[in-house]
Amino acid sequence: MHPNLSFEQAPPISVPYRFLLAAPWFGVLAGFLLAWVGGDVLESRWTPEVLALVHLIAVGFMLQAMSGAMFQFIPVAVGGNVWRPLLVANVVQPTLLVAAVLLVAGLLFSAPALLSAAVPLFLCGVGVFAVVVMLALWRTPATGMTLWTMRLALAGLVLTVLLGALLAETLARGLALPLIPLTNVHLAWGLGAWALMLVGAVSYFVVPMFQLTHPYPSWFARGFGPLLLLAVLIWSGFWLLDDKSLAQAAGLPLAVVCAAFGGTTLWLQYTRRRKIDDATSLNFRVAMIALLAFALSAASMAVWPQLADDPRAVVWLGMLVFPGVFVSTISGMTYKITPFLNWLHLQRLGAPISAVPNMKKMIPGDAMTGQFRLHLLALTLLLAAVWLPALARPAGLAFAASCAWLGANVIQALKNYHRFRDQIRASVLHH
Amino acid sequence: MTIVIDGRELQPPEPMERTLEALEKLGEGEDILLQLYCQPHPLFNILRNSGYAWTDNLLADGTREIRIRKSPG
Repeated sequence: MHPNLSFEQAPPISVPYRFLLAAPWFGVLAGFLLAWVGGDVLESRWTPEVLALVHLIAVGFMLQAMSGAMFQFIPVAVGGNVWRPLLVANVVQPTLLVAAVLLVAGLLFSAPALLSAAVPLFLCGVGVFAVVVMLALWRTPATGMTLWTMRLALAGLVLTVLLGALLAETLARGLALPLIPLTNVHLAWGLGAWALMLVGAVSYFVVPMFQLTHPYPSWFARGFGPLLLLAVLIWSGFWLLDDKSLAQAAGLPLAVVCAAFGGTTLWLQYTRRRKIDDATSLNFRVAMIALLAFALSAASMAVWPQLADDPRAVVWLGMLVFPGVFVSTISGMTYKITPFLNWLHLQRLGAPISAVPNMKKMIPGDAMTGQFRLHLLALTLLLAAVWLPALARPAGLAFAASCAWLGANVIQALKNYHRFRDQIRASVLHH
Repeated sequence: MTIVIDGRELQPPEPMERTLEALEKLGEGEDILLQLYCQPHPLFNILRNSGYAWTDNLLADGTREIRIRKSPG
């Protein structure tokens, strides 16, 4: 027992789990959609199917997983307390889930009513989440760049959703707004100022901790967030000013910031103190290589705009970013978050420390590395399918299978939590 | 006596497990020196709620030296 130890009430374990349990199944849907449509579906970013695929990953897989991870990460990494987390999660998670389904259906079937129905749900779901999380991030006594970068990321999420709402209403009501510049601004805020910003904030904390690397250099941690924000602002400004040549050139600073993050993280992994090649490290390595490939491709298109004349070029960038960078990073993080959650909550039951199973027992190592290998195969097929349409169906099936395996691993982690909890409770009662 | 726990090359939650075990054995006048590359907020919460005091010192190489002892009184 811990007679003299008192564990603070953190969010109930169901709060992060309900998001993490839902996220992978949006990936499964995306894989099945690609497999079902197949053929030339990836020839342009503007087909209804590609818009639906992108949003299954962005507001299904990514938004669910990243919101759930923030509920867990804020108390652990920056000592913040989210206000009534169970109530907030019970409102936000299903709202975002329904909003994602409506948006994807609206894009896939070009149904204005579904797009318009998704908008208020996104505004409410993200609005409540952002207010509650921002309060927690402002009231914590902690300091440091993880905290500041998380604040920037949350602001990025709010702007992404506002721009997305404007775009959805533009499509639904036929408003006379410039769709292409607005879409490019929306995706830069979503992928850069929200998603990559959050990956940066989390990485400062978890890469040294779980992958046993040296810390990110302090000058890098101080500079990355503000420079990424500046690059997104420059990009947005030129697109909204409708200067296409300057806007294309503004892709260059964004690419440089992305490359700096990918390169620094890979360097930290390469020079790490203990060589650990678990599923998290491997997923991060793939994500950072994909980020470097994205930066190189985007920089080439900024310098030689004729490279982007083929509409598949932008789909290639999307494939590197969505499954390459973010699905890999989120999978890797899920394999640390869920075992750590289990361990932390099992500790609170009051059993001797030695009675709480090791984190490695929460999800079998073979299941994680096996799923990683399948994800790598799916990613390779997806990237190839951009240029070889015959591969679209097998790529979709492989991606669906990989995401289903990820989902099954999260379910396994939760089952193990319940099993170990029952064992510990029984032994505590027995003594 | 100071119990030194170098958690910089350990994967979580091993540094926390070792610290919790050391707290159970900590005598009067003794302290624990925990070395990490991050601020362990879950551990801070446990210490705060369980009557321990700590200091947190950031070194130039990014190491955090966290010194833990029983709160006076």
